[in-house]
Amino acid sequence: MTPLLLAPLGLAALAALLVPLLIHLRRRTEEVPVEFAALRWLDPRPRPRSRLRFDEWLLLALRLLLVACLALLLARPAVLGWHDDTPQVLVAPGVDPAAARAAAGEDAELRWIAPDFPDVADGTPVPDTPVSSLIRQFDAELPEGTPLTILVPPVLGGVDAGQLRLTREVTWRIVDSPALPVEAAPPPAPALAVRHAEGQTAPLRYFRAAAQAWSTAPRFEAATGDALPPADQVLVWLTPGPVPQAVTDWIDDGGTALLGDTAAIAMPATTQTLWADEAGQPLVEGGPLGAGRVLRFTRPLVPAAMPDLLAPTFAESLRDLVSPPAPPPARVDAAAYAPTAGAAPYPLPPRELSAWLAVLIALLFCVERFLATRRKRFAT
Amino acid sequence: MARAPLTIPPEIRSRLKRLRLTTRRDMGSRGFGMHASRNKGAGLEFAQYRAYEPGDEPRRIDWKLFARSDKFFVREAEQESPVSVWILTDASASMAQADRARPDWQRIDAAGLLALCTAQLALMQGDRFGWIALRDHGLVVADPHRGRAQFERMQIELSRLEGAGGFPDAHALAPLWERIGANDLVLFLSDCFDEGGIALIERLAKAGREVLAVQLLTVEERDFPFDGGYRFLEPETGEALIGDGKALREDFLARFAAARAALAERLDKAGIRHTALVLDESIDRPLHVFFGRGAPPP
Repeated sequence: MTPLLLAPLGLAALAALLVPLLIHLRRRTEEVPVEFAALRWLDPRPRPRSRLRFDEWLLLALRLLLVACLALLLARPAVLGWHDDTPQVLVAPGVDPAAARAAAGEDAELRWIAPDFPDVADGTPVPDTPVSSLIRQFDAELPEGTPLTILVPPVLGGVDAGQLRLTREVTWRIVDSPALPVEAAPPPAPALAVRHAEGQTAPLRYFRAAAQAWSTAPRFEAATGDALPPADQVLVWLTPGPVPQAVTDWIDDGGTALLGDTAAIAMPATTQTLWADEAGQPLVEGGPLGAGRVLRFTRPLVPAAMPDLLAPTFAESLRDLVSPPAPPPARVDAAAYAPTAGAAPYPLPPRELSAWLAVLIALLFCVERFLATRRKRFAT
Repeated sequence: MARAPLTIPPEIRSRLKRLRLTTRRDMGSRGFGMHASRNKGAGLEFAQYRAYEPGDEPRRIDWKLFARSDKFFVREAEQESPVSVWILTDASASMAQADRARPDWQRIDAAGLLALCTAQLALMQGDRFGWIALRDHGLVVADPHRGRAQFERMQIELSRLEGAGGFPDAHALAPLWERIGANDLVLFLSDCFDEGGIALIERLAKAGREVLAVQLLTVEERDFPFDGGYRFLEPETGEALIGDGKALREDFLARFAAARAALAERLDKAGIRHTALVLDESIDRPLHVFFGRGAPPP
């Protein structure tokens, strides 16, 4: 254990020790008027009226101590290497709490793998927690040498692509648990809202065909003008010329827009090719714009310029382009995901003692008040 | 300042029953009464028999009764004497001083209570008693009488008495000489800091009055328990002295003891019996010193 101060400049407040001292000495020099008929036998010679003299040592010492403790509080005392070494047990979401309790024993303190690591008794965590990230965090914050047990269901959700490489050997126990719910239905096919210039209806059919290919109940509408669809639909903007500010704002707010090659817009700096033909020539490029995405055809939407419009894979390619990216795979066979040891341990932050010091100061204050106000002090 | 009326505490009242006011002239040498009496006839009036006690004069034993009962009895006469007890109370400003530890117990309260105890003694044995409060803005004089009415009047008047002003000069004291009789007993209650007071009782003693002096002192004057800076104020002259209590203490105690010794010598020389009463002592202590036989109470 190494004591240290996090803000040593706070010790400058020790200068305040002078205050009780000065008050104490000042009090000594006051002149209490007192009637005294035998005055003529008092020595009238002038003499030093008051020397530096202390009485009520205990009270003075207590007040000095109080001020010193306050100064120390400002200096934020802490201690390094004072840690709790009790074994820790983490429970992954999906494990039945009763089963976890049975597996860990009655006395163990069980914590969910969830932000802030709540106690298991405090309810179940939300299902999509970043489990591997939280395990790494807990391991990093745990002092070296503290045993860690992790209870996981046979199929562990919420993991990321990296292997678990921790700073210690972990007891990895698989607890029989109810199977994870079957994945919900696949997301619905995207809805297309085409905006085109007057008379330029030729490319519409490719998009309509694609929408019909995606779903038996195609969601497709086409119109002229610049009425904007709801944010969950995909805007296909085929109007030539500069893209209005309203459209850019709509994309900025989280919409996905696919522009024709005639649309004039400043593409974002991170623009890259998203769809290329067999020869590797770009067909669609795009990138994120604000909270949304902007995509743009690089060729005119005529089969002569872009044979892929007629290709059987057009509908599929278009859907992949405009659909939001699928979530990464997050489920793993827990047995295969057992963590390995060997990561370099992290230095732990020192533990602050301010709370304890505050309690001590409160106690000192109570004692000081008691001494300062007791009746005996005013008896004479 | 409203003060509670003076009353004698019960335990002191019971102690007073052991005492008798006696003058030097009747220390068991003459006559039947308690005091020397010029009027012998009245002193012969029979009052009661009481059992003989060691110390009684053999001639006061009633031998006829002894012959009848085979026991010694002493004939006691009704006390009848012209001796009056005068209580002279200093009422100058210095008498209003009290200790800080007990601010409601001034020197003048002690003087009043001691006067009341003396009056109680006089009342019990039928002596006349009167009092004079000495102050420079008019003396308070009560001529001696006997009886409970006089006692109650004294109780009320002394309760009202407050220490203020200075000590009266010789001119203002002239009425004393007309009133205090030649053989009267004079009890002088004062702090004895005023030269005028000492001179007065010296003259009284020289003129044949029996004077008893009680010097009333505060605890602070005896112990000087001051620690720290103080501004000492003389209540009568208004002089002030600023000083550190601890530094002044030793010197003051030595000087004050010397002053008291000088005063004692002076009073002894004048034939005045005297004692001191500090405010934390029992109020009847001076009476036990003057009239008691055993050890005085603390």
